Amino acid sequence: MPQVYHKGFNSLARILVIGLPLCAASTGVSLAAFYRSDYTTGVREVVEQPVPFSHMHHVGQLGIACVYCHTGVETSAVAGIPPTKTCMNCHQTMWTGSDMLQPIRDSYRHNTPIVWNKVHNVPHYTYFNHSIHVGKGVGCYSCHGEIDKMPLVFQSKTLLMEWCVACHREPEKHLRPKSEVFNMRFKATDVYNPSTKSNYPDQITLGKDLKKGLRPDLGLDGMKLKDDRFIRDQHTLTNCSICHR
Amino acid sequence: MARKLDPTDLAPASGEVQVRGLDELMDSADFREMMKNEFPEDAAEWLDPVTRRQFVTLMGASLALAGVVGCNPSFRPAPARKVVPYVTKPDAITPGVPLFFATTWTLNGYSSGVLVKSLEGRPLKVEGNPSHPGSLGGTDLYTQGSILNLYDPDRSKTVMHDGTPSTWDAFKAGLFKLMSKLKDTGGTGLRILSETVTSPTLVGLLDEVKKIYPKANWVQYDPVGRDGARVGVKLAFNKPIQPVYKFDEAKRVLALDSDFVTSGPGAVRYARDLASKRKVRVYEGAVDGVGPKEMSRLYSVESMVTGTGAMADHRLPLKPSEIESFARKLAAELGIGNGPKPGPLPKLAEDWVGPLAKDLKDAGGAAVVVPGDHLSASVHALCHAINEKLGAFGKTVTFVESIEVNPGDRQADLKALVGEMKAGKVEALIVLGGNPAYTAPADLAFGDELKKVKATIHLGAQYDETAILCQWHVNEAHYLEAWGDGRAFDGTASLQQPLIAPVDDGKCALEVLAVLLEKALIGPLELVKANWKKHFDTVVKKGSFDLWWDACLEKGVVDGTAAKPATPGTVSLDWVKDAPVLSAGKGLEVVFRLDPTVHDGRFANNGWLQELPKPLTALTWDNAVILSPKTAASDGVKVGWPDFKWTGGEHGRAEVDVVELILGDRKVLAPVWILPGHADDVITVHLGFGREKIGQVGAGVGFNAGAIRTSDAPFVATGATVKKTRDKHFLACVQGQYAMEGRRPSRHGTVEDVEKGLPAYKEDWKAFDFADDPIVSMAEKGLLRRLLPGSPQELNRLGLMTPEESELRHEKHGEHKHDDRLIELTLLSDGPHPQFKTYRRWGMAIDLGACIGCTACVAACVAENNIPVVGKYEVTRGRAMHWIRVDRYFVMPAEDGGTKKIDRSPRQKAALDSASVTTFFQPLPCQQCEKAPCEIVCPVGATVHSTDGLNDMVYNRCVGTRYCSNNCPYKVRRFNFLQYADYATESMKLVNNPEVTVRTRGVMEKCTYCVQRIRSAEVEAEREFDIREKDARDGRPRIKDGEVITACQAACPTGAIVFGDINDPASVVRKWKLEPTNYGLLAELNTMPRTTYLAAVKNPNPAMPKGA
Repeated sequence: MPQVYHKGFNSLARILVIGLPLCAASTGVSLAAFYRSDYTTGVREVVEQPVPFSHMHHVGQLGIACVYCHTGVETSAVAGIPPTKTCMNCHQTMWTGSDMLQPIRDSYRHNTPIVWNKVHNVPHYTYFNHSIHVGKGVGCYSCHGEIDKMPLVFQSKTLLMEWCVACHREPEKHLRPKSEVFNMRFKATDVYNPSTKSNYPDQITLGKDLKKGLRPDLGLDGMKLKDDRFIRDQHTLTNCSICHR
Repeated sequence: MARKLDPTDLAPASGEVQVRGLDELMDSADFREMMKNEFPEDAAEWLDPVTRRQFVTLMGASLALAGVVGCNPSFRPAPARKVVPYVTKPDAITPGVPLFFATTWTLNGYSSGVLVKSLEGRPLKVEGNPSHPGSLGGTDLYTQGSILNLYDPDRSKTVMHDGTPSTWDAFKAGLFKLMSKLKDTGGTGLRILSETVTSPTLVGLLDEVKKIYPKANWVQYDPVGRDGARVGVKLAFNKPIQPVYKFDEAKRVLALDSDFVTSGPGAVRYARDLASKRKVRVYEGAVDGVGPKEMSRLYSVESMVTGTGAMADHRLPLKPSEIESFARKLAAELGIGNGPKPGPLPKLAEDWVGPLAKDLKDAGGAAVVVPGDHLSASVHALCHAINEKLGAFGKTVTFVESIEVNPGDRQADLKALVGEMKAGKVEALIVLGGNPAYTAPADLAFGDELKKVKATIHLGAQYDETAILCQWHVNEAHYLEAWGDGRAFDGTASLQQPLIAPVDDGKCALEVLAVLLEKALIGPLELVKANWKKHFDTVVKKGSFDLWWDACLEKGVVDGTAAKPATPGTVSLDWVKDAPVLSAGKGLEVVFRLDPTVHDGRFANNGWLQELPKPLTALTWDNAVILSPKTAASDGVKVGWPDFKWTGGEHGRAEVDVVELILGDRKVLAPVWILPGHADDVITVHLGFGREKIGQVGAGVGFNAGAIRTSDAPFVATGATVKKTRDKHFLACVQGQYAMEGRRPSRHGTVEDVEKGLPAYKEDWKAFDFADDPIVSMAEKGLLRRLLPGSPQELNRLGLMTPEESELRHEKHGEHKHDDRLIELTLLSDGPHPQFKTYRRWGMAIDLGACIGCTACVAACVAENNIPVVGKYEVTRGRAMHWIRVDRYFVMPAEDGGTKKIDRSPRQKAALDSASVTTFFQPLPCQQCEKAPCEIVCPVGATVHSTDGLNDMVYNRCVGTRYCSNNCPYKVRRFNFLQYADYATESMKLVNNPEVTVRTRGVMEKCTYCVQRIRSAEVEAEREFDIREKDARDGRPRIKDGEVITACQAACPTGAIVFGDINDPASVVRKWKLEPTNYGLLAELNTMPRTTYLAAVKNPNPAMPKGA
């Protein structure tokens, strides 16, 4: 009886024994990587807007405060896109002839709103609330990145659920004193710790203090133990109904 | 835990049968078959018009397309959206933060204050205004549904002229032309027909019309029919006054065919007042209710079963013709010697009169007799005499100067108007709201006569039966779009301020009259303001008008405007000589009532209200000829009885006989519905259906009972016959859906039971065994109580009871032997969540004694939680989506000891005796079990617990296995079998609450305890961490009791639902749960439900005849 399999099949089988799992694993890894890639999540993709508003210019160079335009950020679920009136506060005297600002003037003149394209989109079953994050000391930077360096805004974080949950599990990685929430250049090592009489060594140490409600930015007064449950525990923060209703 | 499963043991010791419908009572073969299926029969099966093969083909195609989608940027987790900011942001608005505005909702002339939630200018949800005397925070179901009318895509959108679209300017020009003619003649032949008007501004304008056109006439008509009440007052007192009842003062109440808790002026307030005396509280720390001794007693004599009758301690079903006799007999018994002579009465009614009269008399003035609005004037006059005799005047009945303008016989006025129209005397008719061509009695042929009038103008929200016959139709503005005012049941005025500019440029009655008065340049705001400026100048006088006006708008009530109290004087009995002699009614009697959900037909295009199960009948999307089992079985009728193949199984589809209902020479074809407890030889039919000219929702729904209604007998007609036809009709009835066969889910006892248990309950929880599961052993009952969240025994076990509470309850720590056997038996490994000791534990308690089954809670839930309308066809397949349902149980005495023997005759006999049937309601939202059976079977973790004990439903994880629904003993989970949520209609998108996900096909959903409200309260509290008072237990900023109110709780007129944190010793919900009448539904399954019930307590009079 002749051999059913050619001799070469031996080596083929050996290759497959190692190759198939490798192949499967790499498919999995690449799919996972693809899912998280900038391409799928839209990270670093500049969104076209009717008016090419530059945060770099207005925030980075002119130093206009975030809340000047995003007025709801401390009180509402949505930070709020400024009404045309806010633009016109300055632009009725500055750059009044600029072509780029024509849509703004048209909007103001005809009382028709400007339709902006949303940059940070979360699914409709997810309820993000700006006010509580800002209120607890999560900086704008943590989610929006270096917005003051963006001539045109793009999404700088994946906005995937794993990204949200990572912070809800360990908020200390992102907490900062309330006075620094809108600071784009904030570094934990710049914060002076009155109780150790030196600057904080890293974000985690600072974050853990802040989680307990301690406020190094208020000096020694703020370092008295306020409440060790200023931030809720990770079980509560990762309850489904915290974000999904 | 071992549970005896032999169904013959399921009847409780109290010797009663508790059923949802007659098929369950009769234990028919179909019913048994249905009970065998775990799912509603068709709900799980593929019966859609698309075949399975087509489906697979389609799915193949969509899978292929899914691949294409993968290469598309829209593969992203969230689709890209637009943001549209304001051009100039109004100061008061912060995008994302809702505002509440006080305004006024008026139905049939009587107003109720409401607070309307508005998000960025979009009205979203209506709540009651706690400052308004007609609401006190509660609402009825119409108020809840009214918001949908604003977004109704079938609303009239434009002015119409002779059937073609026109403009407001063209209408004004047309009206001016007409006016120039009318002015020369002093308004001869000008008639204005409106619904009942109490609005001070509108009344002022109508008076002005009268001045300019002295020969014009204003007629009011609405089909509610309170003529008997109006004329009755005239007979008794001969002055324009109106009674206002004070049920919170009454110890004894007799409702004489009156459903005052769910219909009529002040119903919401009356329901709350009545319930305040019927919530029996035993626990010494109770914050509401009354002790068993102070509980009021309610008698009801009625033909249809109503919410009032269901709440009553004694209910007597009686024919309408006998009700008048009953009143006369009662008057005679009370010593009104010169009253009218009663006619013959059935034996039971005769037996009622003596003890009833004695009980009313013994109350010493704290008794009241309330006649139904539709009863004749002589009954009303007689009831005033009875109340006078009882000494009720000034105590439980007060009189105020008439709130209505020109109170009188509206039916006669309409008849006179039609007579004029017939005689050609009407030159111009302006119909200000309402739909008289549909609602007027059929014999008047209002529509035909309308065509003969030279100039006709109609103002209405729909292009309806009347509009199509009028030359001009003006699209009416919704009440949230227009300025106005109105007066409540006690005369208190409130302002109606718009929340949104008229969406389709609708106009209100004020604007139409302003044109007639050549004031068209004055807007409705100015008109209302001018009217109230007069009030300010004459009454208030102090301070600035503008500040006063703003304060009134903000509060929603104009203080000090309640109608002036009037002295009634003595009741005259002069009318007695003209009172007709009563004889026994012949043939069947027909009672015409407005439908409990679509009213007079004005809500017929409102999907929320069409799909809302009607109180008592549990029908949706239909009306029916409602009769008692005995009448159904009687010789002339013979429908349904006794096989009950068709009373509606769990799937909600009831195949019923169609009968021909003949009244005089008019007849109508109608399906039959048998209602236990309904009076014999009477038929109740509901008006408001069978609309001809209506939008897509109401088209072809029900039959028009108005077709046989005549102006001689508009509310009760005698001599009807019923002829069975061979036709069958499918009704969508939810009464049998999700039955909990034989487990006595709704528990109740009497004041006597409570008093018997009272001395012992502090030491011995067994004292209140009527609230306990009837079939588990005593030892197990003890264990169940130790597991029931919020019960004293459970709080004790967790060590959460405060010393004060232990003092009041005499609960001693460690008194009970520790036995966690039941906890060990659970599939969850970690026992009760340890954090429940320290976290907030949201819980709910529902007082069954205070529930009137009005379903306002269901309507409120629909509005709050974006619950889709599925349509009649889907309801008949057990797919109704309501998150809270109101189960209705008929309780009948079990003469054979309650066992379900093969012999049906005793049970049949019980059902045939309407007088022995009592009705109980049980609202059933998700029970939010601490050990939720749904959670352990979900393969994808789409339903999980939160740390505060909510049973979270995560739509985005759900893959639609429906295992959770399968494993839910309460059957509170709802599955989106099809794409029910309306993504297509633009205007319907606006009514959705943006705080709640709009669910798609294939997703399970259920009551969330309004988690969106809980979380937004939490966010607010956490944001104010530094300044808020801290909770001692967990250091979290305190959320005060009452800060989170669920939608059902807010709407409930009687306050039967409370919600809050069980762990908060100050919360009302905890106090309710400490009551010994507190029980957990199916708690023996070890689910530890967070929602618990307080057993209903009735206050029967031992002197009353048996079986009543």
